Amino acid sequence: MLGCYDFCGHYEWTFEWLRQQGGEPLVRTYWDEAIRRDSQRHAAALIAAKGIEGMKEYWGHTLADEGAGYHCTATDAVYRIDMFACPSKGFLTRNGLRQYHDYCDHCMGWIGLLLKECNWVVDHEHNHCGQCWWELRRTDDPTPPSKPSELSGEHDVRKRADWLPPHETMDVYERANDPDDKKTRKTG
Amino acid sequence: MTPSANPLPYTDTKPVGAADFYFAINATFRFILNKSGIEGLRRYWTDLGARYFAPVTARWSAGGLPAVAEYWRAFFAAEPGSDVEVSADNASVTVNVRVCPAIAHLRKGGREIVPCFCQQCYFIGEAMAAPAGLTVRVEGGNGSCRQTFLSRNAAPAPQDLACIKEASC
Repeated sequence: MLGCYDFCGHYEWTFEWLRQQGGEPLVRTYWDEAIRRDSQRHAAALIAAKGIEGMKEYWGHTLADEGAGYHCTATDAVYRIDMFACPSKGFLTRNGLRQYHDYCDHCMGWIGLLLKECNWVVDHEHNHCGQCWWELRRTDDPTPPSKPSELSGEHDVRKRADWLPPHETMDVYERANDPDDKKTRKTG
Repeated sequence: MTPSANPLPYTDTKPVGAADFYFAINATFRFILNKSGIEGLRRYWTDLGARYFAPVTARWSAGGLPAVAEYWRAFFAAEPGSDVEVSADNASVTVNVRVCPAIAHLRKGGREIVPCFCQQCYFIGEAMAAPAGLTVRVEGGNGSCRQTFLSRNAAPAPQDLACIKEASC
C-alpha cells in the first residue's frame, strides 16, 4: 500500500507520471481537482469561512504535523509564512528523489487557486532548496510585499545566509494565483 | 538504526507520517479513476510498484522473505494508527492488517473512499514482488485484510479480485 510516511516521494513521482500521460495541463488539473477540491477541501472551508483565523488554524497544525521548520506571522490584513526547512522538499532532497522538473510548483498549484476562490492573492518566492516565503492578502488590498524583516523580523527567511544558494533559480510570484504566473531569476 | 540498516528505502526525520496525506492518496486514486478508468488506475499502481518501489524490490531480491517481513514491519511502524502483525515462516510472509491506518483515517475524516481503494495493495504489492521472484495474495479489505507474500514457484492460484472488499466510509 501507499503510506503517508514517504508520501512526498510518491506524490512527486505521480506528477511526472501524470505529465507523461497528459502533459503539463493534466498535472495542473490534478493539483486543482484532486488536491485543492478533494484532498485539501478542509483548508478551503476554513479559509473561506474564517479568513486569516482559518489560515492560522489550517497551517498551524499541518506544518507542525509534517515536521516543517517555519514561522507564521499574522496581522488583520496579511498572513505570512517563512519556511526555512520545507518538510516535503527536504524529504525529496535527502532521499535523492527527483522525477518531476519543478516540485515546488505544486504549492501554488493548489493553494493559489484555493485563495483565488476566497478572494486572496499571493506574493511568494522560493529557492528550490526547501525555503520560501508567502504573504497572503485580500484581493482588494494593494499593499506590496513587505521588505525583509519588516513583517516577520528575525524569522524572515530572506535574511538567512542560505536564502540565495549559488547557481539556483528563484521563482517569484507577485499578486498571483496561478502556478505558471511566475518570474524567475538566477542567483549568483 | 543506521540508514543502510533501515528496511525502508526512503526515510524521513520524523518517526511517523502525517495522516492527512491519506486524504491526498485517496483523492489521487479518484482523480486517475475518473480520468483513465480502472485500467488506468491499475496501470498507475503497477508503475508505482515497479518504478518508485524498485529499491524495495532490490532488497527483496537480495534478502528473500526475511527482507519482505522486515520491510512491512518497518513500513507499518511508520504509519500512524496502524495495528498490524507480520509473521514469517520458510514459505511465506503474512501481513495481518487488523487496522488499516489509511481506511481508519479516511473514515475519521468523513472522506468518501474510492471503492477500489484496497486493490492498490494487490497491484502495487505484486509489481514490487514479481521481479524478486515473489507474489502476493490479498484477502479482505475495507479496514482489515491479510496479505500473503510467497515464492512464485509455489504457484498459488491467481489473485481473485473478488476476495478484495470494496472500501466504504
